[in-house]
Amino acid sequence: MVPLAIARQTVREALRRRVMWIFLICGLFLIALGPVFGFLSPKDSQTVLRSLGLAAILLAGLFITIVTCIYLIPVEIERRTIYTILSKPVQRYEFVLGKFLGGFAVVFINIAAMGVVFLLMIRFQEGKVPPDMYKGVFLTFFQMMLLAALTIFFSTFATPVLNFFMSFGIFIVGNLSSVTESLTTSRVKATQIAGTIIHYLLPNFGNFNIQNTLIHPTQEITNPDVFIKQNILYALIYSAVLLILAVIIFDRREV
Amino acid sequence: MQKAIKVMPASVKKRVAPLSTLVVVLLGASALLQKQIDPTARLIHKGEQNLTTVSGGLNNEFMLLPLLGFREAAAGLLWVRCDEFFHSGDYDAILPLVRIITLLDPHAENVYVTGAWHLSYNFTDSSERSDRRYIAPSEALLDEGILNNPEIPDIKFEKGWQNFDKIKNFTEAETTLKDCIAGPRHDETGKKGSDDFPFAAPLKTLHLLAHTYEKQGRLPEALEEWTRARARTEKIRDEDKAANKPENYSNKQMWFAERHNYDEDMQRYHNRYTTVKHDAINPSNPPLPGVLWPTGPGISPQPWDVAFLPKVEIKRAKVFRISGRFNSADGARIDVRITDWNYKDRPLVDIKNSFHPNMAETILVDSCSVRKGKFDREMDMSKDPKMYSFSEPDYKVVLSYNPRTTSPHLTDRYGWSGEGMKDANPDHVYLDTRAPLLGTAYIAGQGATGPVWDGVTVPWAEHTQPIRMIKVTYKVSRRQIMGEEPITDKDIVPNSE
Amino acid sequence: MAAAISIQGLTKKYVDVWQKQEVVAVNNLNLTVQEGEIFGFLGRNGAGKTTTIKMLLGLVFPTAGDATLLGKPMGDNAVKHHLAYLPEETYFYDSMTGWDILDFYARLFKIPEPERRRRVQICLEKVRLQPDAWHRSIRGYSKGMRQRTGIAQALINDPKVLFLDEPTSGLDPIAHAELRDIVASLKDEGKTVFLSSHQLADVELICTRVAIIHRGKLLTEGTIKDLVSGDFAEVVVQGKTLRNGAIDKIKLLAPHCDMGPDDTLRITLVDEEKINAIIDIVRSAEARVISVVPHKRTLEDVFVETVRKEDGS
Repeated sequence: MVPLAIARQTVREALRRRVMWIFLICGLFLIALGPVFGFLSPKDSQTVLRSLGLAAILLAGLFITIVTCIYLIPVEIERRTIYTILSKPVQRYEFVLGKFLGGFAVVFINIAAMGVVFLLMIRFQEGKVPPDMYKGVFLTFFQMMLLAALTIFFSTFATPVLNFFMSFGIFIVGNLSSVTESLTTSRVKATQIAGTIIHYLLPNFGNFNIQNTLIHPTQEITNPDVFIKQNILYALIYSAVLLILAVIIFDRREV
Repeated sequence: MQKAIKVMPASVKKRVAPLSTLVVVLLGASALLQKQIDPTARLIHKGEQNLTTVSGGLNNEFMLLPLLGFREAAAGLLWVRCDEFFHSGDYDAILPLVRIITLLDPHAENVYVTGAWHLSYNFTDSSERSDRRYIAPSEALLDEGILNNPEIPDIKFEKGWQNFDKIKNFTEAETTLKDCIAGPRHDETGKKGSDDFPFAAPLKTLHLLAHTYEKQGRLPEALEEWTRARARTEKIRDEDKAANKPENYSNKQMWFAERHNYDEDMQRYHNRYTTVKHDAINPSNPPLPGVLWPTGPGISPQPWDVAFLPKVEIKRAKVFRISGRFNSADGARIDVRITDWNYKDRPLVDIKNSFHPNMAETILVDSCSVRKGKFDREMDMSKDPKMYSFSEPDYKVVLSYNPRTTSPHLTDRYGWSGEGMKDANPDHVYLDTRAPLLGTAYIAGQGATGPVWDGVTVPWAEHTQPIRMIKVTYKVSRRQIMGEEPITDKDIVPNSE
Repeated sequence: MAAAISIQGLTKKYVDVWQKQEVVAVNNLNLTVQEGEIFGFLGRNGAGKTTTIKMLLGLVFPTAGDATLLGKPMGDNAVKHHLAYLPEETYFYDSMTGWDILDFYARLFKIPEPERRRRVQICLEKVRLQPDAWHRSIRGYSKGMRQRTGIAQALINDPKVLFLDEPTSGLDPIAHAELRDIVASLKDEGKTVFLSSHQLADVELICTRVAIIHRGKLLTEGTIKDLVSGDFAEVVVQGKTLRNGAIDKIKLLAPHCDMGPDDTLRITLVDEEKINAIIDIVRSAEARVISVVPHKRTLEDVFVETVRKEDGS
């Protein structure tokens, strides 16, 4: 009950942040721009709508997630609202868990809002919504969920500015999963070790990038449902790792 | 900066070990899961690799770090920009932009197809003549598209079409179209969702291949292709009928067209292959030589003397008047080619170097139609200085007649290899033996040594029949093109490749 | 009476990373607060008061020492059900209403409905927050209203021990008086209040016992009565003739004498019964008695003296 109460409060406060709304509105605007390119050939306008829509969800989602989550814990400490929480029978892990759940809920709300508009645009333009498009939005949510977990973990010890760059940096490195995977088979031993550490220890955001196969349906994945389930499980497990690490660090944090 | 000196409560210390153990276990689990995800992820990312030599086969992420998952959106928006450039006539911007787009998204098949079409056909001068300098980049773009999207038939079809229609390289067209038809899922089990079958080659590919065979004189193979196409159309019509769908008139028209083309080719086949009965089937007075009729002194009837008498004049600076006589039926076209003296066609298989056309080159390709044995046409190259820079000192003006690319009724008369025509001036008769242009099958029963043309036995092997064409080559100087000196017959030089 | 709060050797140190100097915020503090008393915890700004409270509540971890709250070790989560804390400069989530804030804090105590609703109402009534403000956003509250809400959240769980840090700072006189009365009434309910405040008049009025800390060290501790004992009188006399031996006689009775300009002698003495004897000596010397003023010591006097004495040593 306590983590849920904190999560509810977190969502409430996060949804008040103007910067989050700015990014959300920009994302929605970009998605809504898709049908404007209807003057192109049907194939081209479909490609532009899908690519623009998915990219807008990803881009807006990225900034919304980072900008919202970097403040979730630090702002409580800075404003001292955390005193009246931790002085009550609230375990530190309950507080951290509440923040994680709140962060995930904020990400869900934003991705869902953009996802609904995107799918409506697809319906409007193409007459129906291919099931693959739902998968695209779904995977983007889990990608952002993992990013939210990472950002909140960093927020247990880093300032918001430092956190912004660390989260962004690891998101970029994590997207290079194809590169890091190729390093694991490098003939140079040191590169191989470094590549293995990075590829298996850092969160692999690149797993979730299947935009190309959605935009160009001619590119196929074998067993797409298995792939998606594996990625969801990966996101959940890695988020749990980050949650536990956040608890270990926050247990020691003086407020 | 102050650091607290603290002693952690026992309850906190107690938690560290089990939590840390749990972290290690979960990280291990995520690593194992990642190992399971890797093979599929590898396939997806491999599919996103830009496989051309331009990128050295590297994955896009190596080069496009900041763009990450937004590559396709960037590509889409740039393509819209490209479309604007085309409509505004800003052609110079299009090639670099198309290169960036395909680099960003190697699966943007429509960009390859439409981009190549723009490059080959739509960069024109004031007289709507297309800029030939962009043929090589256009082909290179299509080759890159095929490399990155081997399963997509549309790009292969476009390449086949360009080689058939624009470049007149029927050998290359044939290879590409066959590759398209034989594609990875030629049995049409692929997904349907785009304008044509996204995996299986559309029907138009079979039609174009049949026409390509016709151009090469390979009528038996053309007939086979029409038969195959017709069988496919019949299958579609039968399926519609079985499903109680209303008659699709487009399919019906298609079937009739295929049947018509088959019948026509059968007629041409008989015209060509029944040489002995040729006069009986096609009587003419005086009798015209049949296909592959031997030529030479004493052999009767002689090939038709086209009596080519060209004249090249400069009306004013950079404005040519190409006129003359060509003793042929209406429908013939005299091909005109004006280039730098040292102009060489860029090799069409060299992707890396083909994307950088030499914008200082001058090349014009056009034709004049023959009416009542005469032709007369003005070719104004003065209005487009960017396209026709005339920066070299000397130029080649080539006037030619190719029996293979001319109208079918004239091909039937002169033969696929021009064996049925001659010119009183033997210097005007030229045997073009360039490999890419070869490719008609030798006719069964005609002998393995080849025909005798102009008293010379032309040796041949299967698919290597050369083209016997009418050709006149001028070497003119810049001063002459500027109108400072006249062009005369003294400027005619021996024909070459 | 059982000890509500028992502190033994509590210490908190920081090290300055750049200058490599140790900073002691709380220095070997030993303190006991009985149940049912209002305990005043006094000190200058930066003396270590808030740090002490934060250590007791587990917000900050001690360098050394121990403490128990209601018999349980400090930082214990279960005992927090019976604790409450009103920090200095209370911040709330501005977008929330007074009601919502209390409801949120009540949820942290896992108080179920409808009990939660009842408690919120009782607490808001107790702190005398106007009912029309209950469902207004806190952003529109005055300082007094915020403090009332702060005390209300401290009461939501009906705690046994309350830690109040400057509960009346910055309030207008009426709000100040009202809130002081609310705090005072908590004693009647049997609650223990650990009050950290600079409002010495309030502390003197409502606290049972006080402690004074300075630079992290406990300087003195005791009941108000004991600490402010030591009333004295000041007698001012004047006259040249005093120098003729009268001063020596007076010094025997009152050692604290200061001769000022214009032959004015200021005499401080604790034993008021000696005043008459001194007046007799002055009259014998044919000098003048200017004034006789009795002084009552206040907590402020005690505080200032104690701190200055520590600074002097």
